[in-house]
Amino acid sequence: MQLIDGSKIITEACVRAGADVYVGYPITPSNWFYAYAQKRFPLFLAAPDEISTLQWMSGFSAAGRMPVTATSFPGLALMVESLNMAYMMELPMLIVVTQRLGPSTGSATTGAQGDLLLLRGAISGGYPVPVFCPSGFEDCWNLAYEGIKTAIRYRTPVILLTSKEMVMTHRSFDLSGLPEIEKVERPKAEPGRPYQPYRAGEDGVPPFVPLGDDVRQVRLNASTHGNLGLIQKESPEAMANTRRLQEKLEQNIPAFTFYGLDEETGAEELIISYGISADAARDAVAALRSQGKKVSLLIVKTLLPFPPAILDILERYEKQVFVEENLPGLLRELVYGQARRKNTRSVNKIGSMITPSEIINQTGGEAFPTG
Amino acid sequence: MPFCPGCGHGIAIKNLSKALEGAGYDPLDVIVVSDIGCAGLVDPVLATHTIHGLHGRAPALALGISLGLSNPGKKVLAIQGDGGATIGLQHLLEAARRNVDMTLIVLNNLLYGMTGGQMSGLSTLEFKAGRHIEDDAPPFDIVRLTHEAGAAYSSRVTAPGDFKTHFAEALATPGFALVEVACLCPSHGVGKMKELVSVASGDLGLARRREPARVAFKETAPLFEKGRQTEAPFHSGIKERLGIVIAGSAGGGVQSTARLIANAGILSGLHATMKGEYPITVGTGFSLAEVILSTKEIHYTGLEVPDAVVAVTTDGLAKARSRIKPGTSVVLDSKLEESASCPNAIYGDFQKEAGKQGAALFAAVFWLVKEGMLEADALLEVARKHKHAKSLVEVIERGVGVG
Ligand code: SF4
Repeated sequence: MQLIDGSKIITEACVRAGADVYVGYPITPSNWFYAYAQKRFPLFLAAPDEISTLQWMSGFSAAGRMPVTATSFPGLALMVESLNMAYMMELPMLIVVTQRLGPSTGSATTGAQGDLLLLRGAISGGYPVPVFCPSGFEDCWNLAYEGIKTAIRYRTPVILLTSKEMVMTHRSFDLSGLPEIEKVERPKAEPGRPYQPYRAGEDGVPPFVPLGDDVRQVRLNASTHGNLGLIQKESPEAMANTRRLQEKLEQNIPAFTFYGLDEETGAEELIISYGISADAARDAVAALRSQGKKVSLLIVKTLLPFPPAILDILERYEKQVFVEENLPGLLRELVYGQARRKNTRSVNKIGSMITPSEIINQTGGEAFPTG
Repeated sequence: MPFCPGCGHGIAIKNLSKALEGAGYDPLDVIVVSDIGCAGLVDPVLATHTIHGLHGRAPALALGISLGLSNPGKKVLAIQGDGGATIGLQHLLEAARRNVDMTLIVLNNLLYGMTGGQMSGLSTLEFKAGRHIEDDAPPFDIVRLTHEAGAAYSSRVTAPGDFKTHFAEALATPGFALVEVACLCPSHGVGKMKELVSVASGDLGLARRREPARVAFKETAPLFEKGRQTEAPFHSGIKERLGIVIAGSAGGGVQSTARLIANAGILSGLHATMKGEYPITVGTGFSLAEVILSTKEIHYTGLEVPDAVVAVTTDGLAKARSRIKPGTSVVLDSKLEESASCPNAIYGDFQKEAGKQGAALFAAVFWLVKEGMLEADALLEVARKHKHAKSLVEVIERGVGVG
């Protein structure tokens, strides 16, 4: 057992997975990543702002590197246009987003879970960006690895959505149980002409050749483009290329569907949580069971694109309780929109972590304080 | 050419292509980073690598490419208009400041061509006056700005001036090189060279001898090894769970005390969590930390009812007071006795005994050992590995002695 924090685990996992450049601008509560990255990344660059951060990362990615950054809402907001660019150019990168209390600058040292729907709508046109959300230290390790794998495999930016308490709280943790991480190589297209930068294979992913290749001409483009990477307006080829951005992720969702499911036989009620609220939900479920209540627990780790396999689980339960540290219930809205649903409740809060007792109260159990 | 007939961009691009050929570049040795606007339409006419990004960001994107390339000898060439140059002025300055190896061509036709000929931040006063536009803010001089920021080469050329020398010079420069080209936009009435020559602020070439930015991808050591299983040789009297809040002021060792306790707990076979809370200005004000030690795995890391609150300064107590619940043991510095109005608290001369920096540790150790929660040896074992081992060990020994 070692006293360790999530920022350190995520940083180490990224580098082991082959991330080789960290570009960033420090922002609370994401700045431990900045500090660890300075020590650990093969190359560390301090950008003057978050727009530059994502532009530099895109340049590195286009040159064949695997860049990572970490930020919080104010920085993420500045990144949105460049995130669209990287998405359209199909450039792998990992962005760690450490949520903090908003709106606006809000409260830099207070955690939150308020950015899910911003990420859902971040790409103009509503295209999905993979968003993974760790609910514990093992997830920090595994999902950072999966994030880099997914970014490279499907040529896309990937978001690792964390919160202050996940990356700044120290915990004793048995590191020896963590699985090995193997370096993910960026696959290069087979040599030989002709090469078309956006002509995709069956998996919907175009083979990658870095800018500056000696024999194949590479053209990358953030505007609507055809297979050659040159601007085309409404040509069928350009529209197919744009549609492909949606399809390449949707058709491959099973490869990056992550969740934790603790089912109790005979349970009719399902508690659904993610990220930093998952721990309180774990405690609440244990307490409810000790009181004789039958209840199951679902911890969602792939938040976007929302996996059909998780919808299948939700459909099995009549009664559902969504637990998340925001007021409107963003995950619930992601799943059910504005629909009125009988037997679906929410535990919401801002300003501090949801406690196990608050969940127990909503689930009809007998609350008792922990600690 | 994708430009309107007579457009200055076309002339500039032709000259640029000639300059590249003249310098002996194979098309695939060149990566063109194009911006948004008329200047950004160049991709299809070039046989080079091309990357077409966002408005104003071409120099920033080019910076990443230039530093990220693994094959040397490639030329990164960014092209933008005057609109792009002002949207992303920071990027020009940053690339110049770092002297990143790239050439940036700014095609300045003194207006926004693609959106209808509006004025830009590079439109000159004469130009605006000639169009009866009331705006007396002078234009940026990006040549001087980038030069001041550290560019190896910054120059301006007015079409149809001496492109050859300027482009050749820029391409031959290792480091950041800028060429601002004042050029025509006949579609919005900038059709005569005469007009352009009279308004542009004149050709200029500024050079600076300076090494270009270089980066190295280094081998680094892991932040932690994951193979090690620590032993837990010490005993703890904690039955199930202990939650303790430690409160003091910045610089009072509150965070390191909490970490030390958590580590001592781990050495006693317990699970531990530790988190800190302090104002953004970490050098002043309160400092508060929470530690949970538990015989079982800890999920929720909050502390609804602390078993103990230890506070050694006024700032600390003010912050921690709301955490005191019925059943919480309270340990306070005796200096707080009058103001605290907390009759059931345990008071000690922690500040007097251990000074400002040691008081929190002293008080916490005193209570933990007195209550049999942790062994003094577990705390000492952790302290001995600390970079300030000597003073920590001394404070712990004295804290234990008081108990
Ligand atoms: S609008 Fe002006 S700048 Fe744009 S292509 Fe036409 S002439 Fe050139």
